[in-house]
Amino acid sequence: MRHHTISPVTRCLPPPAWGRTGVAGLLALAISSAPGLADTAAVVQDHARPGYAAFALAATRLAAIESCDPEALRPAFQATYDAWMAVAHLALGPAEEDGRALAIHFWPDPKRLGAKAQTALLTGDPAALSPDLIAQQSVAARGLSGLERLLYPAEALPADPCPLIQATADDLARMATALDADWGPYGDLLLAAGQPGNDRFLSEDEATQALFTQLATGLEAVADRRIGRPLGSFDKPRPDLAESRASDRPVQNIRLSLRALRDLALRLNPDSPKTKAAFDRAIGLADALDPDIDRIADPQGWLKLEILQQAVRATRDTAIAELGPALGVELGFNAQDGD
Amino acid sequence: MRRRAFLATLAASLTPRLSWADIGAPAFLAAGKQGEDYALHGLSGAGESLFQIVLPGRGHAAAAHPIRAEAVAFARRPGTFALVIDCATGITRHRLAPPYGMQFNGHGTYSPDGSLLMTSEVVAETSEGRIGLWDTRGYTRLTDWPSHGIGPHDIKRLPDGRIAVANGGIRTDPVDRTKLNIPDMAPNLALLSPEGALLDQVDLPGLRQNSIRHLAPMGATIAFAMQWEGDPAEPVPQLGLWTPGTAPRLCPPPDAEAFAMQGYAGSIAATADRILITSPKGGAAMIFDARGTHVATHHRADLSGAATSQAGFTVTDGQGAVWSATDKDLTPLASVKTQWDNHLVALG
Repeated sequence: MRHHTISPVTRCLPPPAWGRTGVAGLLALAISSAPGLADTAAVVQDHARPGYAAFALAATRLAAIESCDPEALRPAFQATYDAWMAVAHLALGPAEEDGRALAIHFWPDPKRLGAKAQTALLTGDPAALSPDLIAQQSVAARGLSGLERLLYPAEALPADPCPLIQATADDLARMATALDADWGPYGDLLLAAGQPGNDRFLSEDEATQALFTQLATGLEAVADRRIGRPLGSFDKPRPDLAESRASDRPVQNIRLSLRALRDLALRLNPDSPKTKAAFDRAIGLADALDPDIDRIADPQGWLKLEILQQAVRATRDTAIAELGPALGVELGFNAQDGD
Repeated sequence: MRRRAFLATLAASLTPRLSWADIGAPAFLAAGKQGEDYALHGLSGAGESLFQIVLPGRGHAAAAHPIRAEAVAFARRPGTFALVIDCATGITRHRLAPPYGMQFNGHGTYSPDGSLLMTSEVVAETSEGRIGLWDTRGYTRLTDWPSHGIGPHDIKRLPDGRIAVANGGIRTDPVDRTKLNIPDMAPNLALLSPEGALLDQVDLPGLRQNSIRHLAPMGATIAFAMQWEGDPAEPVPQLGLWTPGTAPRLCPPPDAEAFAMQGYAGSIAATADRILITSPKGGAAMIFDARGTHVATHHRADLSGAATSQAGFTVTDGQGAVWSATDKDLTPLASVKTQWDNHLVALG
């Protein structure tokens, strides 16, 4: 009854919208006239673009390692993951086209789709691991989540993982490089918000609102997913559901994503004392957590994580209340409204 | 009171009624917010506001009379009233209230000749679904029928007169709309005869937390849009197709786009060969072909309203923009200060 065919049509989507809207012309506009609002310019130039550039560099370095020895790859894997956490909250533009962000980092995965798809790749035809074909495999099998399962396997892998490790790392580097490159023209669209011909952002406020929305949804993702999924309930903590537990990163990811979101907030509006204080409190609590997520199985450890979750939610509310009016934008009219 | 009601009915029936063509042939109706004020707008095919009528609060959806320049605007749930508005004068001709213990549930539809209005309703205490019937001469209540499910939302008349009902399956608190039965909710899609008899009904085994909420008839097929109430990490389809007499089919996008809609479809519209669904939560619209194969995804924050138009589809967003949507892209038609609400209603 359910049909799950992935049609050929889906493999030949039109190019991303910003690739078709006369980027060259908009680029000229952005340079020839005053750039957009200071908030947008600061986020594009000092937050997003450097973040994606660092991620691309780290992923390229990881892919350049010839060895398949997990010990040799893990430091570069960790560095790449760190770099992704600095931009993972920017789920707009290049990251949302064709589900790229999912292919870079597929989590949570309650149905273990990634592990299943990866087992098929490990035991299947090695020809499927060519750069073109790996890019067409399930997003759940690829990216950081895919590499983590190969570099920190919970149990013995069914076949030599070396070809898949290399293919996955190359694919990740290719995606990271593409994101970095696409943030050139996409950033220009943000900077040229409201200018003639810019169908992506019809006013300067729309660009500001898009970035403000990333701040709110990014904080929700930290509270609901990075913290909420392992937190479970007091009676039933679920450290096994934590993000990237195999590579021992659950607490690290919480810390890094809070720092990245703090940077985004203060680029949007440096004069946000309440938001800054709320972030500093949350980051202080995150830094004080035991780095071993399994400690939340103890009541004390669980309470500390729950207090952090409350602090992150308070940070979101504070940021919306303080930055929204200061920037003259609010969260989506319909997105906030169930129907 | 009886006499006053009678006189009002008489007056309403004597007032000359203008047609949609008489008032500039708007292509769409859309509710929206500007500043702190809410209004119902008539929009041209180019997305320009031709008229606006102040509403007492945020609306949910509207239904347009097929002939007279008259629309019924439903209040947000829990819906204690609906307003029948004369779009030529802006005058509220009738204020509809469901019978005691019942609430409107967001949507309604007229019969092709405009003589009947049908409204989706629930018994407030239980969320048991009803379809209210109104005589549009004076908007008097005729009767109501079971909707054959919990929490009906959208209802649509098929070209042959049969009626499709999206029973969303969610029992809600009669006062604050808190969802009360998420673990064991059971939505269904019901097909009723023109006289209200249950002809056929389907549900979604294994996907009972996917609330069926909005409908778009497409020839003999009903396209339906869903909102996922389960684990947001589970990839589930937002679109389904049902040709009565056959099993429903679900239409997932490619796996890379499995979360583009955030599990939530806000509106649906269908032409002869394309279906479009919007997600304000995901900031996206997806287009599928008539067989349910994904054709394109377009990204735009807060997209929600969707209707068919000459070029294919017209969609609206919460930032005030009206767009033309084709397989290729979104093209801006107009942009105003009004934040467009959930739904866009095509006229004619």
